[in-house]
Amino acid sequence: MPRLGMQAVKGTITLALPLIALTVIAELFLPAALARLATLYLIYVTAVVGMQIYSGNSGIISFGQAGFMALGAYGSALLTIQPAVISTSLPDLPGWLAAIAGGQSLPVGMAGALLLVGLVATVFGLPLSRLGGAAASIATLGFLVIVHVTLVASTDITRGSQTFFGVPRGVSAFTALVVALVAVAVARLYRGTRAGLALRAAREDEVAARASGVNVVRERFLAWVLGGLVSGAAGVLLAHFLGAFSPKDFHFNLTFLLMSMLILGGISTVSGAVGGTALIVVMVDLLRRLEGGAEVLGLQLPEVFGLTDIGVGLVILAVMYRLRDGLFGLREVDERLFPEPAAAAAPVAPSGATDQVSLTVEGVGRRFSGLVALEDVSFSVRPGLVTGLIGPNGAGKSTLINAICGIVPPSSGRVLLNGTDTALVPVHEIPSRGLGRTFQNIRLFRNLSVLENVTVAADAVAGPGEDSRAAAMAALAVVGMQGLAARPASSLPYGAQRRLEIARALALRPSFLLLDEPAAGMNPAETDALIAVLRQIRADHRIGLLVVEHDLKLIMRLCDHIVVLNKGQMIAEGPPEHIRADPAVIEAYIGKRRAAA
Amino acid sequence: MDIFLQQLLNALSLGGTYALLALGLAVVFSIIGLINFAHGELMTVTGYAICFALIWGLPFPLAVMAGLAVAVVAALLMERIAFRPVRGASGTTLLLTSFAVSAILRVLFQNLISARPIPVSIPASLSGVLTIGPLHLGMIQLISIIVTLVMLLGLNLFLHRTMAGRAMRAAAEDFAVLRLMGLRANSVVATAFAISGLLAGVAGLLWVAQRGSVDPLMGALPVLKAFIAAIIGGLGSLSGAVAGGFLLGFIEVILQAYLPESLLPYRDAFAILLVIAVLLFRPQGLLARKTPVKL
Repeated sequence: MPRLGMQAVKGTITLALPLIALTVIAELFLPAALARLATLYLIYVTAVVGMQIYSGNSGIISFGQAGFMALGAYGSALLTIQPAVISTSLPDLPGWLAAIAGGQSLPVGMAGALLLVGLVATVFGLPLSRLGGAAASIATLGFLVIVHVTLVASTDITRGSQTFFGVPRGVSAFTALVVALVAVAVARLYRGTRAGLALRAAREDEVAARASGVNVVRERFLAWVLGGLVSGAAGVLLAHFLGAFSPKDFHFNLTFLLMSMLILGGISTVSGAVGGTALIVVMVDLLRRLEGGAEVLGLQLPEVFGLTDIGVGLVILAVMYRLRDGLFGLREVDERLFPEPAAAAAPVAPSGATDQVSLTVEGVGRRFSGLVALEDVSFSVRPGLVTGLIGPNGAGKSTLINAICGIVPPSSGRVLLNGTDTALVPVHEIPSRGLGRTFQNIRLFRNLSVLENVTVAADAVAGPGEDSRAAAMAALAVVGMQGLAARPASSLPYGAQRRLEIARALALRPSFLLLDEPAAGMNPAETDALIAVLRQIRADHRIGLLVVEHDLKLIMRLCDHIVVLNKGQMIAEGPPEHIRADPAVIEAYIGKRRAAA
Repeated sequence: MDIFLQQLLNALSLGGTYALLALGLAVVFSIIGLINFAHGELMTVTGYAICFALIWGLPFPLAVMAGLAVAVVAALLMERIAFRPVRGASGTTLLLTSFAVSAILRVLFQNLISARPIPVSIPASLSGVLTIGPLHLGMIQLISIIVTLVMLLGLNLFLHRTMAGRAMRAAAEDFAVLRLMGLRANSVVATAFAISGLLAGVAGLLWVAQRGSVDPLMGALPVLKAFIAAIIGGLGSLSGAVAGGFLLGFIEVILQAYLPESLLPYRDAFAILLVIAVLLFRPQGLLARKTPVKL
C-alpha cells in the first residue's frame, strides 16, 4: 500500500491543480465560448486518459476508445432522454427499453452507461487480450467498426445515422472537472499498482514478463476494461454536453483526434495525456476558425475543408519523426519533480529453497518435424548445488532450456519441477512453482527503472500485505546494485544489465535458478564479479543453480556437477574433474584426432 | 445447389478483392513491420487516375494501365517521403505514421478533387451478365475472379522464381541478415511497396469497376476489412493474408444470403465478430508465420 499511496497521490495532485485552476478561471473570468472550450477540454482529458490506461501501459495503440465513448453516450442518453421527446423521436423503441428509458437523472444515466460499457468491454476483451502488438491494434479497430455499425443499424433505439436529440444538457464545468479528476486519479493509481507495473513490463518485453510471473493476458484484459470505463464516462459527459449527436461523431475523426492528443503528450504517462490534450484542443480551435476562411493580417484565406484533420495529421507525423516519446517523455511530471525516496531493503533476504524441492529432467526428447534436437536426456538439478549444462553449438542446450521452462514442451519425457510437469503449467506460473531464469540475449524492461524491473518479479510471488519493493531492494542488494535502484534499466553498463537479470530472477524467490549464458560478452573482471555473486547465492540461499555456458573455464570453476550434451544426447554427467577427463567430452569439444593424440 | 454455387462465385469475387488488399498489406508488413493504413488511399488514387484518364479520352485499357502505374508510383512516393524517416521504429510508430498519412491524403482528395463521388464510365461490355446454365455471372465478377487468380499466380512466380522475389522472401525472414549479405535494403523495401501498390491498384480497379464511381473515402472500408483479413490469416504471412481475405469474403456473402432481413444492417458487425472469434482459438491467426524466438 505505501508504494501505491504516496507517488500516485503526488501525481494526481500535480495534475489536478492545473485542471482545477483552469476550470475556476474559465468559469469566473473567461467569455462563455472559452469556458465551453475548457469544459470540452476536461471531457477530452477523461477520454484520452482512458486511452492512456490501456495503450500507454500495454503499448498497444487502441482505436476502440471512441467506440466506448459512443456506448457511454447512447447508453446514458437513452436513460435520461426527456420523456416528452421519446414518442416522436423513438416511436419504435422495444418494450423492455421503453420501460426504463427516459427521465432518469444524470448519475443514473452514468451508472447505466458504465454498466453497458463494462459488459461490452468484458466480452470483447476476452479474445482481444490474447493478441499483442499490431494484431491487437487492428482488433480494437474492428471493435470500433462493430460499435459503429451496430449503432447505425439499430434504428429503433438510436435513430440510426440520424441525430439523436432531446438529451438533457446537464454537464457543468464542475461536473466535467470531477469526472476528469477521478479519471486522472484512477489512471495514476493504476500505473503504480501491481497490475499496472506488470502490464508496463509486458509492454517492454513480453517474454521476460511471462518468465517473471506476469499473466500478460489478464493484465491486458484489466487495462482494456478499466480504460474502456474511463473513456465511456467521457462519452456520457460528451452526450450531455452536446445534447444531440449521431454515430459519426464517435468514429474515425474522434479517434484520430484522441490519438493525436495522447501521442503529442506522450503515450507512456498520464501527464502526457493531460498536457497533449490541452495543446491539441487549442490547436484545433484555432484551425477551426481558419477553416471558414478567416482574414489574417489583411489576407483573405480560402476556405479549406478539413484543415483541422491536416493539422492533427501533421502533428502526429512531427511527433513520430522527431519526438517519439512525446513532449512529456517516459516519466510522469511528479516523478521528475519529486522523485521517490529510496526504499529500504527487507531485513529477510529472499529464499524459497528447502531440501524438499526437486527439479528433474526425465527422458526428455524433442523432434522438430523429423529433426531430432534432443533425445532421452535425464538428470536432476540439486538444491544448494551449481549444475552446469555444456555442449558445443547445436548440442540441444537451448531446446532443453525451453523444455525445462515449459516454453516448448518436449515430444517425449517430461520435466518435473517440485512434482509438477512444467509442460502442463502456463509459462507465467512457472516462477511461482519455484523456477526463475535469465536470458541469453538480455531481456530487461528497458524503460522501467532498475527497482521496477525487480519489483515486477517480487510482485509475482508476494503474499497479501507483503512489501514487494523491499523484497526487490533485498534482491538488488544480493547482486550489489541497491545504489542504482532509480536508474532506467537501459542506462546500465552491460555487466550490470546481466546482474540485474539475476536480481530479477532472485526476486521470484525460486528454489531453482536457470542462468542462460550469464557470462556471455563479459570481460574477465565482470566474469569474476559474476562468479562471486553466484557463489554467494548458492551459499546464502540454498538455491539450485542450473548454468548453461560456453565458457568452459567458468563452468569448471563454478560447478559442482556438470551435464554434457552433444548432438542432442547426454554424453557425460559428473563432477568437474570427472568431466575434464572424460574422453567422450574431449572428443566432442576438441575433435577425435587431437583426443587420440 | 444452384443458389449455393451462385453464392460461391459471389464469395470468390468479393473475397478475391479482400485477398489482394490483404496481400498488399502483408507484403509490406512482412518486410518492415508496417501496417499501412494509407493502403486504401492507394486504391482511391487508382480510381481517380482511371477516372481522369477516361475523361481525357484515353481508351479503357490504357486508362487501366495508367491507373496501375499511378498506384505503383504513389506507393513508392509514400515509402520514400513518409515511411523512410521512421523505418526501423516500433510497430506503433509505423502504424501511427501511416494513420496520419491516410488522414491527410483523404483531406487532400476532398479539397483538391471533390468531396463527392465522381462517376467513372466503365465500358458497357464489362457490365453484361453471362448466363451459364442456371448461374448468372456478372462480367465484372468473372473478371475479378480471373484477375485475382492471375495476380496471385504471378506474385507466387515472382517470389519463387526471380532474384528480387527470393530477396523479398529472405527479407521477410530476417531483414538484418539480408543486408549483411550485401542486398540493398532500400531496393528490397521499394520492391515491396511497388508490389503492394500494384495489388492495391488492381483491387482499386475492381472496386471502381463494380461501383462505377470514385470518392475520397472509397478505400477506407475495403482496407479496413483487409486489415481484419490479414490478422485472421496471421500478420505477415502471405498465404495467410490470401486465406483470410477469402474467408472474410465467404463469411460476408453467407451472412448477406442467410441473415434474416431485420439483421442485415448488422452484417459487417457480425462478420468482424465471427472473424475475431476465430482468434480465441488461434491467437496467432490461421497461418501464422513461424518466428523462432531465440530466448
